[in-house]
Amino acid sequence: MIAMPMRMWRKPLDTAKVKVPEGEVHIIKSRCKGCGFCIEFCPKEMLESSEEFNERGVHPPKVKDKSVCAHCSFCEAVCPDFAIYSVKKECKDGC
Amino acid sequence: MSSPQPKPEEEIRIGVYVCHCGLNIAGSVNCEEIAKYAATLPHVALAKDYRYTCSDQGQELIKKDIKEHKLNRVVVASCSPRLHEPTFRRTCEEAGLNKYLFEMANIREHCSWVHLYEKEKATEKAKDLVKMAVAKAALLEPQEEAVVPIIRKALVIGGGVAGIQAALDLADTGYKVYLVEREPSIGGRMAQIDKTFPTMDCSICILAPKMSDVGRHPNIELLTNSEVKEVKGYIGNFKVKVLKKPRYVTKDCSACNDCVKECPVTTPNEFDVGLATRHAIYTPFAQAVPSTYIIDRNICLNKDNIITCDKCIRACERKAIDFDMKPETVELEVGTIIVATGADVYDPASLVEYGYTKYSNVITSLEFERLINAGGPSGGHLIRPSDMQIPKVVAFIQCVGSRSEKGGRPYCSNVCCMNTIKDSLLIKEHWPETQIYVFYMDIRAFGKGFEDLYKRAKKEGVIFIRGLPADIVEDRKTHNLWLIGENTLQKELYKVNVGMVILSVGIEPQKDSEVIQRLFTLSKTSDGFFMEAHPKLRPVDTPTGGVFLAGCAEGPKDIKDSVTQASAAAARAGILMSQGKVTVEAITPLVIAEKCQVCGLCTRVCPYNAIISSKELKKTEVIEAACAGCGTCGAECPYEALTMRHFTDEQIHAQIDAATEMNANKKIVAFCCNWCSYAGADFAGVSRMQYPPNVRVIRTMCSGRVAPKFVERAFARGAAAVLVSGCHIGDCHYINTNIQTQKRVERLWKKMERLGLNKDRLQLAWISAAEGEKFASKIREMQNVVGKVTKEEIEKSKAMTKEKAG
Repeated sequence: MIAMPMRMWRKPLDTAKVKVPEGEVHIIKSRCKGCGFCIEFCPKEMLESSEEFNERGVHPPKVKDKSVCAHCSFCEAVCPDFAIYSVKKECKDGC
Repeated sequence: MSSPQPKPEEEIRIGVYVCHCGLNIAGSVNCEEIAKYAATLPHVALAKDYRYTCSDQGQELIKKDIKEHKLNRVVVASCSPRLHEPTFRRTCEEAGLNKYLFEMANIREHCSWVHLYEKEKATEKAKDLVKMAVAKAALLEPQEEAVVPIIRKALVIGGGVAGIQAALDLADTGYKVYLVEREPSIGGRMAQIDKTFPTMDCSICILAPKMSDVGRHPNIELLTNSEVKEVKGYIGNFKVKVLKKPRYVTKDCSACNDCVKECPVTTPNEFDVGLATRHAIYTPFAQAVPSTYIIDRNICLNKDNIITCDKCIRACERKAIDFDMKPETVELEVGTIIVATGADVYDPASLVEYGYTKYSNVITSLEFERLINAGGPSGGHLIRPSDMQIPKVVAFIQCVGSRSEKGGRPYCSNVCCMNTIKDSLLIKEHWPETQIYVFYMDIRAFGKGFEDLYKRAKKEGVIFIRGLPADIVEDRKTHNLWLIGENTLQKELYKVNVGMVILSVGIEPQKDSEVIQRLFTLSKTSDGFFMEAHPKLRPVDTPTGGVFLAGCAEGPKDIKDSVTQASAAAARAGILMSQGKVTVEAITPLVIAEKCQVCGLCTRVCPYNAIISSKELKKTEVIEAACAGCGTCGAECPYEALTMRHFTDEQIHAQIDAATEMNANKKIVAFCCNWCSYAGADFAGVSRMQYPPNVRVIRTMCSGRVAPKFVERAFARGAAAVLVSGCHIGDCHYINTNIQTQKRVERLWKKMERLGLNKDRLQLAWISAAEGEKFASKIREMQNVVGKVTKEEIEKSKAMTKEKAG
């Protein structure tokens, strides 16, 4: 979209200072009916189907990479069974 | 045109004036003899020789004769038509004669000056040249120039300092201006720079007021985040389609920054050359115009119309965020266009010896600007990216990507020397103890106040070393850098240890400048920048009427030159719009409907899309205002259904016939394009380059006008050799018409081969306006061919006309 030409190869100098909200996804496996909405709609694509079965005989989701969660809570919004939610991570360095 | 026009049945009465030009012509040509000779030619009513025909008295003489002797054609045998044709055309008009009834014979640049020591032969040649001009003059027709109205609105493409200045000047004059910028904000490169040279003004401080002037000017409509997609029409009447990409933030945005704090995604900020971070919703820099924020949908979590993240929407009190915005195409109608699309910065990563992208403390001059800028990512501290410490020793390397054939660009980028000197003084200002080295090839401090700044830098202790480093090696522990090279002034090797290296990167054409080139049918120089219509006298015009250039799109230049050029371009566009109409030279083709078979060949070769063949309507039409008059359609038409006004087939045939009437077997007939080769031959004359006098030049606007039948006719008339000559490929004044020339000549060569003729007798040469010597040596070279042509060969080549080419 932006046509500024210089290649972006450096880590920005302010990387440590710029804070973005981070979330922590919690999954209540027993409630999951395996519809897969959370996996499909997660904008960070951080969820995937797990190998295990729950009581309802489906594969509940699992977190692929917990570091990328942006705490958008969309998984929480789309889940028909209230089986997934995100909690905002508290900032360590007092931000 | 109110002039009385000769009717077809009217007797043709030609007046011939042979100019002495002091001794410039009379010194090596017998002018009285030529005048006497001219009087014997058909249709010539009177012939005179005169000392200085272009003087007021000379012009008065012509005007008097036109009236007294009822002359209806005038031929002046003097200098190049490129010099005085407009003068004598005006003279004719003042005497009531249509200016297209005037013809010139160039007996100075093409004769007396190039045959200084062969008076007899030069006189014979001059007679031929006059005979050719008289033969053409007898067939000249009066022409009416078409008048085209001009829409009083302008389009400026590119919102850098050049585009800003051009838009403001035009808007202040009173014209409506559309300013199109593809970035989210106007400002361009100047907004990124910290200080300007040589005055050390704060760049954004002087630019920001101009930017806000643009934003609120009642005559300027600003289209940011937009790109020009299509251009149709011609001078005065362009129809332009602009794609306006959505910002996803409405004008209600108050730039409060609340949304940014909430946005969960980040990416390196392009404006800070990746040295700082921005969010998906952002403004590129604090002074941006418009100040409305923008959402980068490439990184935003909301994809494909699914709102997964509504943090910014919730944070925005003014409800200015709208993810439903769609791209829209805006159609503009404008009369003039200014191209101010700017330039790119050279990427030094390909020069591996400097280690850019390998060593973190090697930075570019653009990165330096962001680091030293108080509003930049480091708050104005020049810090090493490796450890965030301020370096004690700094080295600048000049000509990175400039003045180098290998791995760079061959030209000088104009601004880097002074930029480095300015940068070195900025470092000295903030951290006076810093030791600064500048490694250079030549320091070019050529502008006003530049030398003073250079002296100041030397006085402040900046060390200038001639000789670029051959290699840079990093100390892995300290991340300091060793620079190894040769000081060419002292002829000794150096090995310098520095904390930071700044590569003074050059300027190069925008990577996608072909898009603009294609949209406006512009030409490029070998450097890749857009070419002006004339490097000295029309420096901001392009060969496309109504389109002008400003800023770095035309070549590397500093802010002052960009602004100067922008004002010049605005003035040039303003002249057209204030006149409200423009006349088009009457050298465009006429379609002879009865002969036209609507085959579409002319449409295919026209570089301007100015000729349209419609099979449904069964007719071919010329859009006169879009036509530049190259004549390649006329050369291509197999049915002779196109008459190129003022350069008709009959007129050119008459010239060929006149040139080959006597001793054709010793002569070279040369077809030269007006812009390059004819001008090159003129240059040979001005430089007094001597060459054999047996060449007869016929001027066409473009080499693309030279139809195969012209060449064949010359051979059929017994000419020993033919030269077809035009601009170099890529430099054609009519975009790329000379490619047609090449194809036609190649076809002729094939045919000559088939007929067993010596192909050397037909030559094709690309000769630019600056290559007088090339023209002279080409004629010398062809003289050898002429010497070897036998009578039998001449007879044999007469067969060429009997068989169609190709």
